[in-house]
Amino acid sequence: MGKSWLRDYIIKRLIYAVIIAWGIVTITFVLVRVGPSSPADKYLANMAASGQDVSQITTAIEARYGVDKPIFEQYADYMVNLFQWDWGWSFSTSMPVIDLIKTHWIYSFQLILLSSLFAAFLGILIGIYSAVKQYTKIDYTATFLSFIGISIPNFWLGVMLILLFSVKLGLFKAYYDTTLPLFSLENLKALVLPVITLGTGMLAGYVRYTRSAMLDNLRKGFVTTARAKGLPERTVIGKHAFRNAILPLFTIIMFDLGSIVFGGAYLTEIVFGIPGLGQISFNAIFADDYPVVVAVTLIGTFLILMINLITDVAYTYLDPRIRYD
Amino acid sequence: MTERLQNIARKIGGPLYSNRRLIEYYWQRTQRNKLAVLGLSFIAFLILLALIGPFFTLDPTLVNFEENNLPPVGFATEESVYNIYTDEFTTTEISGTWKHPLGTDSKGRDMLAMIISGARISLQVGLIATGIAITLGTIIGVLSAYLGGWADNILMRFTDVMMTFPFFLLLVLIVFIFGPSLALIVLVIGITGWTGTARLLRSEALSLRTRDFVTAAKALGASDGRVIFGHLIPNVASLIIVIATLSIPGVILAEAALSFIGLGDPTTTSWGIILNSGQQSLDTAWWIAVEPGIMLFLTVLAFNFLGDGLRDAFDPKSNI
Amino acid sequence: MGLETPSIPRAIFKVMNNTILGVSHLKTYFFTRRGVVKAVDGIDFELKRGECLCLVGESGCGKTVTALSILGLIDSPPGRIIDGEVRYNNLDLVKCSPTQLRRIRGKEIAIIFQDAQSALNPVFTIGDQIVEQIRLHLGMKYTEARDKAMTLLKEMGIPSVERAMSYYPHQLSGGMKQRAMIAMSLSCDPQVLIADEPTTAVDVTIKAQILDIFHELKAKRQMSLIFITHDLGVVAEIGDRAVVIYGGKVVEMAPVSKIIGNPKHPYTAGLIDCLPDISKTTDRLASIPGTTPNPIELPQGCPFHPRCHKAMEICSQQQPPEVRISEGHEVSCHLYQ
Repeated sequence: MGKSWLRDYIIKRLIYAVIIAWGIVTITFVLVRVGPSSPADKYLANMAASGQDVSQITTAIEARYGVDKPIFEQYADYMVNLFQWDWGWSFSTSMPVIDLIKTHWIYSFQLILLSSLFAAFLGILIGIYSAVKQYTKIDYTATFLSFIGISIPNFWLGVMLILLFSVKLGLFKAYYDTTLPLFSLENLKALVLPVITLGTGMLAGYVRYTRSAMLDNLRKGFVTTARAKGLPERTVIGKHAFRNAILPLFTIIMFDLGSIVFGGAYLTEIVFGIPGLGQISFNAIFADDYPVVVAVTLIGTFLILMINLITDVAYTYLDPRIRYD
Repeated sequence: MTERLQNIARKIGGPLYSNRRLIEYYWQRTQRNKLAVLGLSFIAFLILLALIGPFFTLDPTLVNFEENNLPPVGFATEESVYNIYTDEFTTTEISGTWKHPLGTDSKGRDMLAMIISGARISLQVGLIATGIAITLGTIIGVLSAYLGGWADNILMRFTDVMMTFPFFLLLVLIVFIFGPSLALIVLVIGITGWTGTARLLRSEALSLRTRDFVTAAKALGASDGRVIFGHLIPNVASLIIVIATLSIPGVILAEAALSFIGLGDPTTTSWGIILNSGQQSLDTAWWIAVEPGIMLFLTVLAFNFLGDGLRDAFDPKSNI
Repeated sequence: MGLETPSIPRAIFKVMNNTILGVSHLKTYFFTRRGVVKAVDGIDFELKRGECLCLVGESGCGKTVTALSILGLIDSPPGRIIDGEVRYNNLDLVKCSPTQLRRIRGKEIAIIFQDAQSALNPVFTIGDQIVEQIRLHLGMKYTEARDKAMTLLKEMGIPSVERAMSYYPHQLSGGMKQRAMIAMSLSCDPQVLIADEPTTAVDVTIKAQILDIFHELKAKRQMSLIFITHDLGVVAEIGDRAVVIYGGKVVEMAPVSKIIGNPKHPYTAGLIDCLPDISKTTDRLASIPGTTPNPIELPQGCPFHPRCHKAMEICSQQQPPEVRISEGHEVSCHLYQ
């Protein structure tokens, strides 16, 4: 059974992704540029403060960053550069945007990866257990706790964790230590609070989704068949029921992954001072450093689009009945 | 027997607002869910607090450095004061007073008054922004389903693009560029938050579109507007209520998050803004960060409980 | 096509013990929010070696629940076997341990469900689903099990077996799915096969083909069969004995010839009257008035009395006793006291 239609589908979706990404870059670019202040302003303010002659420098700086040209020209330049893999120059950090992203993406990545793994693993396990034990005390407790988990604002949870474990108990550092080597136990320890902060909401969500997806499948005919075959309960639930429950679950988990990149992860990075993409784009916004803002938005959008595509393609393997035409 | 009638009524799916019996029936079902009732009670309490609370509390903007960082009643903190004459630190214990039941912040403002004023803001943001988002989502979703064809295609592609946009980053960006005002925040959340509603209502309306009463209305010569507003929308009312209830917490959280990172409307005392200032004084005055967070958490929890209960009540599948 | 003959000579067993499966006083209740559903309320029957026993009744009478109860497949909660026993080889399947039960399920007693569409797992291939069972019970290697599965599918009349093995259920037609389901249940050479309305979900031509498979099973494997159906036509064609169930109770039990030719219980007689007879031209088919009783509020006395045209006063007061009409023909009705 070939999947030749899948290749056409992927190509179609990739073209679509590029178009959407282009649209979003344009919107962001316009938004940033119609802003009341010019990137040069901040520099000028600094210059003026140090007693230099502002009027001379203004034109020099504006020419340096190309912001003296009309906005359309700037936009055209930017797009042309983008296609040549030149993401622009970051005013506030004085380095190419691409280098800035290269040094900082890993902090977001490790946070999101660890949180997702933690949340998906525990959430699915608890969800399955809760569904199997439906209407028992364990199930009620899990459901109630998952309500609390999805309702607790994650940035507040982060602050509370800092208050309890850093300020009061002194077990963890309140701020992420950027000097730690990435693959070290200390780094892992430094990520414990951030991962709990970001992961709790996801975990609670996964408990609820898994429970409901499992409940939908546990009473299906094929589960009874699996039991009638003499399979142990572990296989009946873990293989036959769960393999079907994965289908809706997978979509939700992937969608969540796309949305936390600029939701929960963003806030978590700010609370703990993790220098990931969220943090640098946040700083860039306040510094009027628009190439960074546009670049991070572009990366985020593209990431979401790719996650969506991967989800849809993987789905055809998870569910043999699906065909996109 | 009555239950059976109600069941039939529910299957026919009559317009919610014109059917008292249906509303009573749903209300009964919702009431069965204790957590939903608990959630509703808390929301009612919060609304009351926001409406009449400010008449009984101190002015939330009243700064008083004589009484700053006072702990809540029943708690005590130690404060080190440097005495310039004796050149030594003296540690005094400060306990909460009934004048400021929830303590004061670093500027000596009354926490209770600020929390109540924050409740007002959170509810305003939650209700108005959700209102905008739901209205937009309903119109776009139902229109898309009703018109079909290229109009449906364009509207849904547009929805896809909106869904792909990193929403929170957009929010941060717009608020930063145009300045933090509550009205802008509410507007932006409302205008960007309709996508999920549109999708859900489109699929619901698609299935309704082919139902007999819609065909009958069209056959009787009803205009498109009449079919949409008179027949389709009333029949998805229950779904709209559920979506609205479950969207409010997200909206409240978005405003709080925005305020928390320093982009809140500085003329207000929203919970997020209090939390932001509280984060900076965690080691001296923990309650400033704890109190608004608890309120935020409880409010979100209450709406989630209620929304979940309503969904169970409206969802025939949960009847088993 | 040659079905394998079982290695153990059945005749020896026949001398030792003629009954392979015995169900007695079986009561399976469902505890729902609205009340207790007495789906099976004291059913007794015995399955003899090599015979085809039909469980007959309208939908909702408790046939399927009986079948599921035998293998302990009742969803709990809300269902529970509250009383009775299911004897198989000196073992009470109701009380034995889950591990013992698992060894019997699929290996000793297999079941075929009514709707193969929902009984087959949509995300696994037909081959994998059959191989899984073979490997579980017979401890075969994958390739061995695969060969066995292919042989079985071929026997069931599935064309191009090699490809069929790699098909997912949705790629097969209804009849093919049902054949695959039967192949799966036969994969470990069970002693007893329970078929729960295997012909209901398929159309008429396929029904005939499926029935042929069962004829063959009887003839070549001397399979002990419990065949559940609401269709007396099927009973006449395939059954040796029939048990008529109404409201979770056995109302009549007899060899098929007697059930069809000389029904004693008014309900059985009613069911037979409902059979369309093409030789007669009538305007409308006969039917039994009324509907199956609400299993939560079963009527007092005989459960059938509200619909029975021969009902007497006693019928609404007392449970009818079991009356023996002739050898192997028993009926529960006040008419024959």
